[in-house]
Amino acid sequence: MSNVLRPYLAAVRSTLTAALTLEDFASQVVERHNKPEVESATSKEVLLNPLTISRNENERVLIEPSINSIRLSIKIKQADEIERILCNKFTRFMMQRAESFIVLRRKPVAGYDISFLITNTHTETMLKHKIVDFIIQFMEEVDKEISEMKLSLNARARIVAESYLTALQS
Amino acid sequence: MSVLAPIICDNGTGYSKVGFAGNSDPSFVFPTAIATRGSASQSARAPAIPSKPGHLASKRGVEDLDFFIGDEALANAKTPGYGVHYPIRHGMIDNWDHMERYWEQTIFKYLRAEPEDHYFLLTEPPLNAPENREQTAEIFFESFNIKGLYIAVQAVLALAASWSSNRVTDRTLTGTVIDSGDGVTHVIPCAEGYVIGSAIKHIPIAGRDISQFVLNLMRERGEMVNVPPEDQLKVASKVKENYSYVCQDIVREFRKYDEEPLKYFERYDGEHSVTGRKYGVDVGYERFLAPEIFFNPEIYSSEFLTPLPEIVDDVIQQSPIDVRRGLYKNIVLSGGSTMFQHFGNRLKRDLKQIVDRRLDANATASGSHLRSSGVDVDVISHKRQRYAVWFGGSLLASLPDFYTSCHTKAQYDEVGPSICRRYQIFGSST
Amino acid sequence: MILLEPHNVIIQTTVSEKLQKPSSLDVVFVDYDNVRFHLSTPDRKTVLLLSMHIRCWDELVKYGALDVLQREYGSLLSNQVEPEYNVSLEIDLEQVPADPEAREAFVMSLALLKRNALAAPFERGFATQKALEASAGQGELMQIHYRDEEAMYIQAAPDRVTVIFSTVFREETDRIFGKVFLQEFVDARRQPSIQNAPQVLYSSRDPPLEIRHVPGLRNSDDIGYVTFVLFPRHFGNAEIAAATISQTQLFRDYLHYHIKCSKAYMHSRMRFRVTEFQKVLNRAKTEVATTERKTASGRTMVSR
Repeated sequence: MSNVLRPYLAAVRSTLTAALTLEDFASQVVERHNKPEVESATSKEVLLNPLTISRNENERVLIEPSINSIRLSIKIKQADEIERILCNKFTRFMMQRAESFIVLRRKPVAGYDISFLITNTHTETMLKHKIVDFIIQFMEEVDKEISEMKLSLNARARIVAESYLTALQS
Repeated sequence: MSVLAPIICDNGTGYSKVGFAGNSDPSFVFPTAIATRGSASQSARAPAIPSKPGHLASKRGVEDLDFFIGDEALANAKTPGYGVHYPIRHGMIDNWDHMERYWEQTIFKYLRAEPEDHYFLLTEPPLNAPENREQTAEIFFESFNIKGLYIAVQAVLALAASWSSNRVTDRTLTGTVIDSGDGVTHVIPCAEGYVIGSAIKHIPIAGRDISQFVLNLMRERGEMVNVPPEDQLKVASKVKENYSYVCQDIVREFRKYDEEPLKYFERYDGEHSVTGRKYGVDVGYERFLAPEIFFNPEIYSSEFLTPLPEIVDDVIQQSPIDVRRGLYKNIVLSGGSTMFQHFGNRLKRDLKQIVDRRLDANATASGSHLRSSGVDVDVISHKRQRYAVWFGGSLLASLPDFYTSCHTKAQYDEVGPSICRRYQIFGSST
Repeated sequence: MILLEPHNVIIQTTVSEKLQKPSSLDVVFVDYDNVRFHLSTPDRKTVLLLSMHIRCWDELVKYGALDVLQREYGSLLSNQVEPEYNVSLEIDLEQVPADPEAREAFVMSLALLKRNALAAPFERGFATQKALEASAGQGELMQIHYRDEEAMYIQAAPDRVTVIFSTVFREETDRIFGKVFLQEFVDARRQPSIQNAPQVLYSSRDPPLEIRHVPGLRNSDDIGYVTFVLFPRHFGNAEIAAATISQTQLFRDYLHYHIKCSKAYMHSRMRFRVTEFQKVLNRAKTEVATTERKTASGRTMVSR
């Protein structure tokens, strides 16, 4: 991990840990409903101030806390159109499998690439600091994975071009 | 004709059948096997990821193109460095990485088709999880950019294939499918194109077991002493394929053979695959005993004892009452292990007996004078039985309705993979 | 498999099968670039009729395809072309050479039917270049619209033959992947080991000078032009020329094949990464004590 990235992740980690103080909270609007307040947004008083942590204009995290749920959205670095398309492919691939990722949201919040929704049930059945670990590790590795994918794409392209031209020059 | 023929791809556990719609036989039938670099155990760790950029691995970079499929995979099984994998287990796709590459080479090397120009019809086993269907769609639409996709249930295609039989007058998608391949036999009831999942039954007797049984019989009679051990199973399966038939009555058949052995015994001549030494075996009772294990399983297995006709009857009795008549009336055979002569007739006779007996018992028990008008039992055999599923696909995909029932690329881009959870039945006249 | 093979596997396998055991047959199949084949036995089991439909047939005929096919297949070429198809070959299985090697070569030549038809403009281009060496000027610009939206242009000059492909990417991902690939084609020649390869140029949107005057060229974002500059050393002798033709005409399919393979590779990478993430998340799950739950009648519940 580069030194520049570390403070950014540290900031996300401590903010997220602090924000993950969730409790069971029944809907005040509909009887016998219990919904993530940050999603339904029916009672204003249980929503807390959203918070953005930016590393630069292309990379930021939005954390929207509420009484029983928290939404975390990540904007992943995309330097050029190759990275953009790879990032898009990767996040879509992951969200397609949201079922098994429990805390993953099927659609990202507008302006972000991927969103997580953590509710009080999640913090009750899973270890809180491990969830945080997961998010941080995801952020750490997704950049790496995308740049690796880009590199391997370039490498492949080179091999493909070379093999074709080698066959031609005979 | 602006649209090129759709591609039909029936990937089974043992063999894949691929070809173009409109043909009566698949263009390729080869094992669903893929030989990749790296040992068999390593593959669990999935793709060969160039761990560090700039590392040697990224210099090579295209290891994932170094593989063989089908017969070539088996031929390369012994090549050092290659391991053979079977990406489909029990009809379901087990290893998506391998399957994706398997399809890749099927399309580009064997079919030589530009997938962007083609519609595809794929098959799935009954009770396939919708997630699997989504993943398949993801591969075909995103990797291959195909024009349109239709995923059909194998049993339904087998029903459609029976339309080619001249005994079928109405093109219905209600019926019972007996699908017997190499590994397992399924009995699947379908009502109007939908599988009745709760009533499906599996029978652990199929082609492989019949070959083994033939081998046992011939060994006991001492026929196999001339045959080199490595060829024995092959000889047994040849005997099964070329000489076997279903008889109506075992006892009478035995007597017939004993009275006139010269008339009924056949001679099989083979040649050793390596040394070229000639050998010959007499083929006797196994001619009619081999398929008999479907009707009297106790002669082969001690664990599974229910005869096929009884299973079929059970399956139909477990289906909703309003479709049972349709299920009895249209029993369709599919797969290589149903190809025995008179198989259909025997099944029909045995099943009819079971049904009639029950009707009689009912009539007696109720003590009423009203008698049931009887239940039609009919088993349909046809010429295309061996690749019935593929042929049904070929038939359906040549209908004009096919294109409207497909999910197109545009729809996929709009909705996403979940579009494949829904599918439309078409082609039947009822 | 990195390079695509020039021959059609279905023709190869089916014909060799029928050579061993003739039987009646009627199959349709395809090849790259909207080529349709029909292989049948209309009259007798031993006479196969192989028909091909190719989108740009009229153009190919203009550039001498019939001569090439005549040379390759001679008397096999049927006078009666099957309706809906462009060219038919009549193969009498009894006339096929019996010698296994000659037989194999014969089957292979049949499997190369599409390649041979498409070779005509190339061969004409190479011949024109020879003729122009002495004089000067430009050869005719040959246009082959082998797909609905994409075309191939071949022009001979005194010192070289230029082959231009127009490529259209229908999808965003393909367009970007394609760009990466094409860029590498352009750059690859810097490698010392392949400096003798033809020069490759790539331009997106703007057509190269040679074809700028051609009417009806699309001018949109998704179109690109790839130019191969073939020098006499690439088609000096017949053998090299044949190899060059086989490779060059498959360029588009080769490119698209590899774009698709890359996407498949990305999929495997993502599958791997997703399972890794899954493992990390699973670490967060606490052990839930599983007590056996029973109904009133004593049945156990199994969650699946």
